[in-house]
Amino acid sequence: MELFLQTLIDGGLIGGLIIVVGVGFSLCFGVMHIVDFAVGEWVMLGAYAAYWLVRYLRQDPMVYLPLIFALFFAAGWLVYPLIYRAVSGRRHHPALMGLVFTFGLSTLIKGGALSAWGYHVRSVSTWLSGQSVTLGVTTFPALRLAGFVFGVLATVLFMVFLYGTRLGVSIRATAQDRETAALLGVDVRRVGALVYGTYAGLTGMTGVLIGALFSIHAAMGAKYVIFAFFVVVLAGMGYVPGVIVAGLLLGLIQSFVGVYISGRYTLLALFLLMYLSLLVAPRGILRRGL
Amino acid sequence: MTTPAIEVRSPARSAAPRWTLGILLGTALLLLPFAVSSFWIRIATEVLLWAGLAQSWNIIGGYTGYLSFGHGAFFGLGAYITGIGMTVLGWSFPAGLVVSGVLAAALAAAIGYPTLRLRGAYFAIATWAFGEMLRQVATVLDITGGAFGMRLPALLNLPFFYYVTLGTSALVYVTTYLLLERSPFGYKLLAIREHEEAAEMVGVNTVAVKINAFALSAFFPGVLGGIYAYWLTYIHPDSVLGGIITDLMVVMVFLGGMGTFWGPLLGAFLVQLVSRSLWLVWGESTLYLVIIGAAICIVVLFMPGGIVGLLEGRRTPLLAPHAAWRWWRERMRW
Repeated sequence: MELFLQTLIDGGLIGGLIIVVGVGFSLCFGVMHIVDFAVGEWVMLGAYAAYWLVRYLRQDPMVYLPLIFALFFAAGWLVYPLIYRAVSGRRHHPALMGLVFTFGLSTLIKGGALSAWGYHVRSVSTWLSGQSVTLGVTTFPALRLAGFVFGVLATVLFMVFLYGTRLGVSIRATAQDRETAALLGVDVRRVGALVYGTYAGLTGMTGVLIGALFSIHAAMGAKYVIFAFFVVVLAGMGYVPGVIVAGLLLGLIQSFVGVYISGRYTLLALFLLMYLSLLVAPRGILRRGL
Repeated sequence: MTTPAIEVRSPARSAAPRWTLGILLGTALLLLPFAVSSFWIRIATEVLLWAGLAQSWNIIGGYTGYLSFGHGAFFGLGAYITGIGMTVLGWSFPAGLVVSGVLAAALAAAIGYPTLRLRGAYFAIATWAFGEMLRQVATVLDITGGAFGMRLPALLNLPFFYYVTLGTSALVYVTTYLLLERSPFGYKLLAIREHEEAAEMVGVNTVAVKINAFALSAFFPGVLGGIYAYWLTYIHPDSVLGGIITDLMVVMVFLGGMGTFWGPLLGAFLVQLVSRSLWLVWGESTLYLVIIGAAICIVVLFMPGGIVGLLEGRRTPLLAPHAAWRWWRERMRW
């Protein structure tokens, strides 16, 4: 029972963090029809950004979260016109070209990181590392709790922005129907740049927490590509609220398979579920996706 | 819905120079092992292997328009089937290859039936998930040797592997030429790529055609995987089922030209040339990932027709700086 509760909590806490990545990823698909293979590289770069900032400026990595958001927002904003070019214009299957482009981008970033930093495993520690909160028979590692709180806060703030502001309305309108939104005066291109920037910023920030929780290395991105795809496929592509359910589910599956079966089977279980979900319910388990 | 790009075929030229060129190339390829050192035979075998793999991917990705991001799975499956067949079941090498190819095609048909209903990005993600799933399976099973891999009986005969690879890859190109460039089957695939509903409306049995194309494009990677396994004599999940296998197939086809006959050959040749040159200069390096990634990005952004498209469509050269600058400005907008 204790093990069960602890597994439940561990899974839920990690799931909360993954939700942030999923929300941005899902919105990218909704607004620009881009399946971003580079999502894991934003996580990796976020973790490295925290590592280098801590190494040279010596503060707690949490302090740099806003700075990293700004940096990654700018990076996403700069990359966006390239993606826009890849998915528009006269060519076969524009949406697939976006997928292939981000796939190339991800290979480029991963190769660059491996060449520059090698296969060394690095880590950062925060003032929360090693601390924990005990509640009854279960313990909450403080850093995981902080990650969860960050995840929930970022998701809620993002939702408030999406559903409560004028800009958020135009983003959701673009996601629903690009052409009609453009006819009604939404600058679709600017909305896309904004969404991609915000998504890169959120993902970079998540990378800081992931880097602090686990280890940092240049090839770590692949795992988060899997996670993001899993979450978005189960949530239904482009359906943002579904991400919350799917993200928690991901955390739970990961921790339960890892604890009760074997860590070797977690990825297998994730891929199997993802594949079956695509076959049975391509619009997500809640049947609300695009 | 996507707007179908207009295909303009270059006007028919006299066929005689092409045939001469083809015969010269064929003779050169056949005589190559007698003329060069074992190092170059190895390189040539690699180029031929990848040329065959790229063309196989082109059948489903280029001609049919279904981007399979898990095609490496069939290559790895072939490698493991041949490996298990030869070490555990005592098959001969040719029997292993045939079974590998047939099983890869059968698996493709089986998973193709549900998976090919998905369109665009969904199909890409589903095949990707499937490919990665197969790698995980190979990692946890006992018969495959798990993460430690498995060893095959060694055969140190480079010309033998060269000719087997040459034969198989030539078969891929001949099959593609006969079935896709010169038969109704090829037109059906193009119709599906350009507008699937319309193809269905004019009476194309899209489900069957797509499954056939997918099985065909999986058969050859299965065979080539078997050859590769026997050639290397040691395989493990990352070397034959790693994501890089699929990545390279996609890159080569994109670079050469999607849905063109010669594109995959050109792409495979160029990518291997670059990666081997890098390897000669820097040794084992991750820099090739940077170059491959940059190549994909550049191809997608600026030359969606690949090299073949560039050769066929270009009228004005981009050598003058002002022309290049204008070309760049026309394509880059915020």
